Amino acid sequence: MTGTIIKTVDLRKTYMQGKIPVEALRGVNLEVGEGEFLSVLGPSGSGKSTLLNLIGALDKPTGGRLFIENIDVSALNENQLADLRMRIGFVFQFFNLIPRFTARENVELPMSIAGLSKGERRKRAEELLQMVGLASRMNHKPTELSGGEQQRVAIARALANNPRFLLMDEPTGNIDSKNAYEIIRLVKRLNEDKGVTIIMVTHDQRLAEEAKRIVYMLDGTIVMEKVR
Amino acid sequence: MRIIDMFSYAFSAIRLRKLRAGLTTLGVVIGIAAIVALLSITQGLQVAISSQLQRGFATDTLIVTAGGGLGGVNEFNLLVKDAQTIKEIGNVTASIAVIQRICYIRMPYGQTRRVTVTGVDFAAYKEIYSSTFVAEEGEIPLNPEDDFIIVGKQVSDPWSNGTILCRTGDALEILWTNTTTRPLRNETYLGRVVAVLREIGGFTIGGPSDNRIYIPISKAQSFFGTETCEMIIVKLRNDDRATIDSAAKAIREALGGRVAVTSSTAVLNIISSVFSTIELFLAGIAAISLLVAGIGIMNIMIVSVMERTREIGILKALGMKNRQVLLIFLCEAAIIGLLGTLIGIGAGWSLAQIVLRIFGSSGGAGIMRQGNQAAVSNGITITPVLTPTVILGAIVFGLMVTMVFALYPAWKASKLKPVEALRYE
Ligand SMILES: Nc1ncnc2c1ncn2[C@@H]1O[C@H](COP(=O)(O)OP(=O)(O)OP(=O)(O)O)[C@@H](O)[C@H]1O
Ligand SMILES: [Mg+2]
Repeated sequence: MTGTIIKTVDLRKTYMQGKIPVEALRGVNLEVGEGEFLSVLGPSGSGKSTLLNLIGALDKPTGGRLFIENIDVSALNENQLADLRMRIGFVFQFFNLIPRFTARENVELPMSIAGLSKGERRKRAEELLQMVGLASRMNHKPTELSGGEQQRVAIARALANNPRFLLMDEPTGNIDSKNAYEIIRLVKRLNEDKGVTIIMVTHDQRLAEEAKRIVYMLDGTIVMEKVR
Repeated sequence: MRIIDMFSYAFSAIRLRKLRAGLTTLGVVIGIAAIVALLSITQGLQVAISSQLQRGFATDTLIVTAGGGLGGVNEFNLLVKDAQTIKEIGNVTASIAVIQRICYIRMPYGQTRRVTVTGVDFAAYKEIYSSTFVAEEGEIPLNPEDDFIIVGKQVSDPWSNGTILCRTGDALEILWTNTTTRPLRNETYLGRVVAVLREIGGFTIGGPSDNRIYIPISKAQSFFGTETCEMIIVKLRNDDRATIDSAAKAIREALGGRVAVTSSTAVLNIISSVFSTIELFLAGIAAISLLVAGIGIMNIMIVSVMERTREIGILKALGMKNRQVLLIFLCEAAIIGLLGTLIGIGAGWSLAQIVLRIFGSSGGAGIMRQGNQAAVSNGITITPVLTPTVILGAIVFGLMVTMVFALYPAWKASKLKPVEALRYE
């Protein structure tokens, strides 16, 4: 483990449910080093997604600090946050692919946003799809792919702009267990062979065990850590 | 993100909802088509009328009337002999008095008709209006006898179908009611038709007209019992602005400043400014339909933004900036606006052609009827006119309206928060 890449200090998030405040995070302290594979485990409503959304700069904390590569994220403006998101790979439980685009076009999209030329995009998208084992499915639309395949497209898309780390919110939540293991194997390979830093939220104890380090959450705080 | 990629992204979104995009585009098409059709029809009309006018209005002539211009009321009377005074002024080559009265004429077969009888010096009138005061039948006498009459084409052949009511050699009875005597007295005399004018078309002030009859000025003076005239037509050496202005000034001074001097050019300018106003008014009405289309665009885009909330969330999660989201939606509007505008220009142009084919050249006498001053045309053919300015204006306006109405939905899309957008079902 080399330098710290993510660091949260007493991170808090309170949602307003009408007039009732809901404390989703009540002071999370977490440090993730470069090249780590971390899984976050916890019961429903414990704040796992909230934490991941904050780290992914999709949402803003209501208290505490978040540093990504030593940059204080709360000090960034909208544009800088967008630039930061471009360097973070997010994988969602519900894939969130663009239905009208083919697998390749979906993988190209983040590179298009980053301003890459058509040729560069295409080449890299094909490489990525090949890497996740979808070389023969490039021109299929999401509706023509299985859940596991869609999630692999989503992973390829998340990797498109060489992200600093990968955030996965229950990436296997909508996939049967056989395909779920395929996904986990892919994720482990990314971590071990390519050195990609990964934080994966999951419900599944057995999948979580695949990670080198497991963080347990309950009621908006980290209650336990386990390193294998 | 590159502009081209934004457009192709926007295009892919439009393609997904073809019917909806088509209907939105249709709104723009209708608005633009209405504007273009109206403008090209009015401009065609304007071109047709002013070319008619230029034919009937010698540009090197001035019209002198008593007091407040054409049709003005004034105690001051313009006298027939004032024409002589004007003739002495520099740059004036001819100057003739015109007396006109509304009379009834009885044709050889007994029909009566109300016409404007115009008393002029035939020779001088022919000199000024050499292209329109031309006989089709008979000859214009340079030293006419008192009872000579020249009739306009429409008086001779009122339905333009060869049913001739009077021709050269016929006798016409002219009847005029003298309203200055008490009791009123009807004056009549019998004249001889010596010429029928060639068809002129268009209308004119002072110049020859198809539905008048002409008698010698001396006869007019004695028959109508007057020394005054309605107008004096002045021909100048040329139609330079300076010549026109200096002559007009000299004429006004010579007649004690109590006359109005109107140049044909000025009248043409007035008419074209009237047309511009009408044009603007019609275009304004048509523009409202484009605004309606704009509201339609806004409405549909608001729905579209709502439907695509999740997609916007994805784009933002992938690092798209607010500005880029805004631009993507504006690109969608621009594509629809441009497409609608281009189709609309074509549709408007075709519409103008069709409308003018149906109504434009039906040969109807009746574009403009205006008492005894200006006469009416028949058979003006109007072809629609589409100027580059109109095309460019339509494109700019069409695009602008769509973009302006798209601005709010696009801005709303750009302001969506990523997490909330992603959670949207
Ligand atoms: N937008 C929101 N408004 C109000 N409350 C929210 C909002 N988002 C999350 N919460 C609340 O915050 C708490 C944590 O939610 P979060 O989604 O982080 O849980 P989680 O651990 O991811 O659960 P799950 O395993 O079911 O996905 C929950 O009590 C939830 O009800
Ligand atoms: Mg969750």
